[in-house]
Amino acid sequence: MSTATAPTALLEMQGIGKSFPGVKALEGVHLKVRPGQVHALLGENGAGKSTLIKILSGAYTRDEGEIYFDGARVDIKSPADAENLGISTIYQEFNLAPHLTVAENIFLGHLPKKAGRVDWATVRTRSRELLDSLEVGLSIDALAGTLSVAQQQMVEIAKALNRNTRLLVMDEPSAVLGERDIDNLFDVVRRLQASGIGIIYISHRLKEIFDLADEVTVLKDGRYVDTRTVADVTMDDLVTLMIGRDLEDVYPQRAGKPGEVVLEVAHLAQAHLAKDVSFTLRAGEILGIAGITGSGRTETARVLFGADKATMGSMTLFGKPYRPRSPRDAIDRGIAVVTEDRKRQGLLLKLQVYFNVTVAGLSRLSRGGVLQLRQERALVAKWIQNLRIKTPSSDFMVVNMSGGNQQKVVLARWLSLGIKVFIMDEPTRGIDVGSKSEIYQIMADLADQGVAIIMISSELPEVLGMSDRVLVMRDGRVAAELDRAEATEERVMHFAVGQVDLVG
Amino acid sequence: MSSAQSPVNLTAARSLAASPFAKALRSSPILGPLAALLLVSLVFAIASPNFLSTGTFSLILQQVMVVGVLAIGQTLVIITTGIDLSCGMLMGLSGLLMAGFAVRSGLNPWLAILMGIGVAVAFGVLNGALVTGIGLPAFIVTLGTMNIAWALKRIYSTSTITIPESMGQLTFLGAPIKVGGLELPPPGIALLLVLYAVAWFMMKYTAAGRSVYAVGDNIEAARLAGLNTKRILLGVYSVAGLAYGLAAMLQIARTGVGDPNAGESTNGNMDAITAVVIGGTSLFGGRGSVVGTLVGVLIVGVLRTGLQLMGVQPTYQVLVTGVLVIAAVSVDQLTHRK
Repeated sequence: MSTATAPTALLEMQGIGKSFPGVKALEGVHLKVRPGQVHALLGENGAGKSTLIKILSGAYTRDEGEIYFDGARVDIKSPADAENLGISTIYQEFNLAPHLTVAENIFLGHLPKKAGRVDWATVRTRSRELLDSLEVGLSIDALAGTLSVAQQQMVEIAKALNRNTRLLVMDEPSAVLGERDIDNLFDVVRRLQASGIGIIYISHRLKEIFDLADEVTVLKDGRYVDTRTVADVTMDDLVTLMIGRDLEDVYPQRAGKPGEVVLEVAHLAQAHLAKDVSFTLRAGEILGIAGITGSGRTETARVLFGADKATMGSMTLFGKPYRPRSPRDAIDRGIAVVTEDRKRQGLLLKLQVYFNVTVAGLSRLSRGGVLQLRQERALVAKWIQNLRIKTPSSDFMVVNMSGGNQQKVVLARWLSLGIKVFIMDEPTRGIDVGSKSEIYQIMADLADQGVAIIMISSELPEVLGMSDRVLVMRDGRVAAELDRAEATEERVMHFAVGQVDLVG
Repeated sequence: MSSAQSPVNLTAARSLAASPFAKALRSSPILGPLAALLLVSLVFAIASPNFLSTGTFSLILQQVMVVGVLAIGQTLVIITTGIDLSCGMLMGLSGLLMAGFAVRSGLNPWLAILMGIGVAVAFGVLNGALVTGIGLPAFIVTLGTMNIAWALKRIYSTSTITIPESMGQLTFLGAPIKVGGLELPPPGIALLLVLYAVAWFMMKYTAAGRSVYAVGDNIEAARLAGLNTKRILLGVYSVAGLAYGLAAMLQIARTGVGDPNAGESTNGNMDAITAVVIGGTSLFGGRGSVVGTLVGVLIVGVLRTGLQLMGVQPTYQVLVTGVLVIAAVSVDQLTHRK
């Protein structure tokens, strides 16, 4: 039992640092959580939140810093170490076995034994108790795979409680839930809090932090910014802490004189997510597409690039009908895509820089069926220089490069082909701030050279800072088209979610 | 408890992955297999006085001739993260038909060879079509065609078809060339080396070869980079079928018979996969080379021949190859772990 009147820290992380090849993901980060406290962790994409909780849960090991748990110095080297301390993490992707029952999942890997056999009676009683304590009306015999996302989340929480969790880390738990389920989740979190469990709560939604958290720690670009008591801060304070810089400095100034219409999209539909999308795109223009996940942005992009086929609608490219049957068709017509998921859909990670740059243009580098290696080397060297790609050589494996440099390799691939229409889906996701502004500069230069750019982004400041026009999508349709001058964060959000008071 | 063990294992793996040895292997993957080839050769040179005689090298090449050509096809398939279990059986079927068409049906021997190769190619196309069209795993598809080819062999003939001396077209590739008193290795070895040179050139200097690596590294990224991934995979399995047909031609030339049991021993199917893996081609795709496979083939050949010269029973030769495969894949896995 603690003797002090103020409860001592349950967890204290001091000066945590972590590097990956080519990028410093975390540096000098502090975090202090007390028992029975909800501590929010806040920061933009790429601020280092995930890296920090992965260190805490044993998925990564830290390079620098100290971790204290219950006042004792600890070394978390594996998920098992974290579990033994009583630290549980609920990721956005749940970790349930879909073909096992709720009770079996709750006891997964920890089945109690009696006389060498599994003590199913205990499994069942205890599971029921846990679910009851969470006030979740779930059958313990239901298969996990048949449950709704919200129910699965509750099973994850029950699983954590069953392991005598003292610190629960929740990575954007509300991101996958609907309005009503979020209220439920909040009730559960408050009950856990009342029972003395410390909670680290990660969310992008500022409103939730004010509803739920006692303290908030803000990270930016892998560094510690500040820790505040929630009662003492305003939403504006938090935004300033998160962004922490003047937007004017980050986004390049452009002449911005859009030319001819290059692409016209009319009533496009694809499967269930894109329902009726129409817009035009001009040469030399950056058209921002905002909207929440699932609004049909990425699906639209995939149709434009020929990765999926449209189920309805028509497209016109440079005045001619455009109906790409494959990415190759799109590339040959001058359209390229920078995919949302760089590692899975963009790069050949275990191959070299030169390979990744020229893979889309091999036929141009061939003469009589034979690759002109010298010509290839020269081309790659040129683009490494033009885009200032930091790499020891063109033979370097891209998996070992930083996010920003990987993204530049993708850009080099398309720029070397003389692409005229660029679709960039989350072009700066997972990229450090220095490389971000370089990517912005490249985009601005391209637009000034007459390249038309569609930028899909979930980061509103980026959409507002870069776009000539902003298209807001909601439920598979274009909800609004806003000029640069009339686009504000509030207006875009208003159209994106279809209601006025979500942000505030 | 596993909790006590896993950190230790991970640490060991990480330190191996970070060692200079691993770095050299990652940057120049051919170094490992080459070192292994030198090592086994050295061991046998010391252990067996007969090993360094002039005939041994020719003997090794003759022994690996068939597996060597099979392994070219297998290399391509494995680079695309596939596996071709049907390779030995397709070779057996193809060779049996070559002999049968010529000897039993009385076809022109050249035509018989072409038709035999055609059957192997057709099976390769079938493998590729099932993998790309229906999206079945290569393991299952080729397990199926392996059994089909096995059965077709038995249905066609249960007895060995002996090729008469008059049909030299079917056997000349396997017969030593006699120039005066000198005996030169059979022309099949020249064919083996030419095929390796062609495959090496294709993989390194053509868009098609690059595409095979791209598909193996990440098929979705390759498709989004504009590659026709289905056509590439279909091509790989078809070319693999061609390699098995050519291997069949060498196989009947070497043995002088069309044998319904051909391609079934470990000396057929599995040795090809073994050679590819020992040669540094990764089962996880995207990495590897036919030059590595040639070295792998030679390692298997040197081992077999060396053990034979030392009077070790064939059973133990198989045992050693089994150990070798696991060792090779372990080294690959540990040096590439992050």
